Amino acid sequence: MRNPYLPLPMKLVKNFTETSDKLIHTFTLEYLNEQDAESFQYEPGQFAELMVYGKGEAPFGIASSPTEKGILKFSVAKVGVVSNALHMLEEGTIVGVRGPLGNSYPLEQLKGKSLTIIGGGFAFTTLRSTIQYILDPANRGDYGDLTVIYGARNPGLLLYKDELAAWDARSDINLITTIDREVEGWNGRVGFIPTVTKEVAPKTDYAIICGPPVMIKFTMPVLVECGFTPDRIIMSLENRMKCGIGMCGRCNVGSKYVCKDGPVFTKAQLDQLPNEY
Amino acid sequence: MNTTEKIREVAKQLLADQKVDLVVGFAQGTLPLRSTPYFARTPEQAENLIWSATCENNLANFVRKRTDKVAVIAKGCDVRAIVALIKEGQINRENLTIIGVPCEGMVDRKQICQAIGCQDILEVTDQGAELSLKGKNFEKTLAKADVMFGSCKTCQYNTPVIFDELIGEALPAKEANYDDIAAFEALSAAERNAFIAKEMEKCIRCYACRQACPMCYCSECFVDCGAPAWIGKGAQSVDDNALFQTVRVLHLAGRCVDCGACERACPMGIKLSLLNRKMVKDVKGLFGAEAGVNLNDPPALNVHQFEDKEDFML
Amino acid sequence: MIVSKNEIANLLTQLAETYRVIAPVKKDGMLQYAAIKNGEQACLDDANTKKPGKEILFPQSEELFNYTISAEGIRMQDNVDKEATVVFGMRPCDVKSLVLLDNVFQNDQYTDVYYLTRRANTIIVGLGCAQPAATCFCSSVGCGPFAKEGSDIFLTDLGEAYVIEGISDKGKELLAKLSLAEAGAEQKAAAAKLQAEVTADGSINIEGLAEKLGGMFEHPFWESLHEKCIGCGACTYLCPTCHCFDIADEAKDCDGCRVRNWDACMFPLFTLHGSGHNPRTGGKARWRQRLMHKFNYFVDRYNATACVGCGRCIKNCPVNLDIRQALADVRALD
Repeated sequence: MRNPYLPLPMKLVKNFTETSDKLIHTFTLEYLNEQDAESFQYEPGQFAELMVYGKGEAPFGIASSPTEKGILKFSVAKVGVVSNALHMLEEGTIVGVRGPLGNSYPLEQLKGKSLTIIGGGFAFTTLRSTIQYILDPANRGDYGDLTVIYGARNPGLLLYKDELAAWDARSDINLITTIDREVEGWNGRVGFIPTVTKEVAPKTDYAIICGPPVMIKFTMPVLVECGFTPDRIIMSLENRMKCGIGMCGRCNVGSKYVCKDGPVFTKAQLDQLPNEY
Repeated sequence: MNTTEKIREVAKQLLADQKVDLVVGFAQGTLPLRSTPYFARTPEQAENLIWSATCENNLANFVRKRTDKVAVIAKGCDVRAIVALIKEGQINRENLTIIGVPCEGMVDRKQICQAIGCQDILEVTDQGAELSLKGKNFEKTLAKADVMFGSCKTCQYNTPVIFDELIGEALPAKEANYDDIAAFEALSAAERNAFIAKEMEKCIRCYACRQACPMCYCSECFVDCGAPAWIGKGAQSVDDNALFQTVRVLHLAGRCVDCGACERACPMGIKLSLLNRKMVKDVKGLFGAEAGVNLNDPPALNVHQFEDKEDFML
Repeated sequence: MIVSKNEIANLLTQLAETYRVIAPVKKDGMLQYAAIKNGEQACLDDANTKKPGKEILFPQSEELFNYTISAEGIRMQDNVDKEATVVFGMRPCDVKSLVLLDNVFQNDQYTDVYYLTRRANTIIVGLGCAQPAATCFCSSVGCGPFAKEGSDIFLTDLGEAYVIEGISDKGKELLAKLSLAEAGAEQKAAAAKLQAEVTADGSINIEGLAEKLGGMFEHPFWESLHEKCIGCGACTYLCPTCHCFDIADEAKDCDGCRVRNWDACMFPLFTLHGSGHNPRTGGKARWRQRLMHKFNYFVDRYNATACVGCGRCIKNCPVNLDIRQALADVRALD
């Protein structure tokens, strides 16, 4: 019997301060040996429990893409015991990883389809994984047009700035970044995600959306207006979780466990569940 | 009219006249020797209110931080908690109608269970000073006084200290009685430790004590706090369980109204009153303060006098 | 087979030489499950234990693994309990609860090795209830005072002796080693009569309840149900089927261990997100969750009701919030 509670030791190779407020760090981890890399097969949208020895573990979406071999990336906001401890870790420290957990974005089903990806704040992590995956030369041909709308309160709070610049320079992705209020030196759009989405009026087959509840709430009607049916709007939930394997009951919403049956659900699926997320 | 009838009468009138939106009292429970908190919002519902020797819950819990106009059927200890909560700004006196009921003490199901060898009770008749109990293979009569909660036996404030209306006759005040605490103090430190450890071993950390306590209303209890984790969350550590109760007692210093709701709520039968009452006794002895006995005295922790004992300070 | 009550202590002592024997014992004035060495300690005549049988396979606090950090790296030590165990004298409701928990601790992807290993190495000797308590309603929820589901061996109390039946292969195998006397035809008939005749309260009709609750999430019923609840965890901790848990790390110096503790949906912190958002803010949402989980969500997921009618939540609720009443109230709604 494989014990799903035991973490896999991995080496923290980079502890990078991602945002100007220093509250989000991106952690790059390396497998300690080849077998570990082989056994950790994941897909964009999945999460893992990240563990600081002596402090505990907490669930985070995997920000790297399976196309980036040999490493895992997590972008973590400083909010609790584990994330605080993570932020302070020195490069070279061994951390624990338990996963991959949960389901993933239905990338198989999305093949041949055009896609709009909408993200707000630091909920951009698994979206980065997805974009990186689609943009990989081996995969890009499998998908149609790709539109990405990504917003943060100010430019300093945007994650993955180098990558955003690289994506912006490409012709096979339509990247729209936006910030909440006008700031000197910012040449992108200004405005909240729902407004910008309305302006962009994406006409793709599917939409994936991740962000704070208030952003989701106001963007949803816009997507409906744009013609997305509930089965073509894909979301990821962030309920409180502990075990990550559908047993401890914490993330129970209706008859579903967000950690195991999710975190990815279509709006059509969520419409069938109690609003307890 | 008996007390139940009088309570119904008063409650119906208050609701019919729309002087209150809600009357909080007790209704018949689903088991013998059980009553249950009840929320009457119409004169018809007020017909379900009862009074008996099993109205053990402290209803002050249900009248805290409310915005509606509420009446409460309150016994002596409920009112002490209400008074303390008014002083702590948790209850708006203007929105609360206190229907006081002098209380002769509530009976303890756990003691009754012991007295009858824990057989299933199917029927109970209250005969005033005695309870007659019937089960499948037994019949027994017990004096209420013998099976009363410890906190009721030592209660000094059977008659509510404030009220808008009093149902029935006021009962005479009783002398303070801390014999139980004196006996505990007389034990050696090792014996006291052993006793407490034995009690705390039973704890399952369900927090019924804290939840039943009208004065425990912190929005985040120190036990639940994760960062920092002041205390282990598991129930297997007797030390952690004892630490939980010790800190609870300290947080209730000068605030505990000695109602015994914590001990009554405990499903594991832990003798929680010892620690609480030790504190109550000390606060009274050292500072002459008693929580919730009138609206005038400031809460003990709000007062500093030069004569205050401070020999515990290093 | 049959064993007289005089011999039962010897039988348990004998079993304790080979197995860890867990039986109800009187401790601190309460009936509790405990490991025994001497059969005399077992108390089989009283009603149900204070704490539910789940604690044997799923303890309230359990160290999952511990680890040490040193210059050589991290060493992990897994604490899977493999001891061969006989649980003797578990009531049918508690036994049924284990059958229900089996659904939870193993799913299509993952196996809880701690629970499942104990489960695999445990033989359950169920004990029928000749005198169900007034709070028992097992007969209402697909169980019963003599329900044998989940028991490996089953005992029926005939007053002077127990009639013993091997139920599972595991149970029959153990019985074969014990060289017990065969029960006579009369004794067998007496046991069969008891098993057929004794029932607990069966008046709580749960037929169609799951479907009804399914359409009730927004019903005003929930506004009042929770009103007297003080929000403690007595009902969930003492419930044999409640299985929610928390996972935490405890560390001393550089060593640490991962522990799991029972947790409860009745506590506000249970669902609090790191962001401060709480999807179940009040008593209303929490009581709805408790009832829904047992009588709708669990049914939906595992095709079984997560209640065995043991009555512990009824006996131990500080405010007498009686789940039977709640179910009857749901039933009475239009």
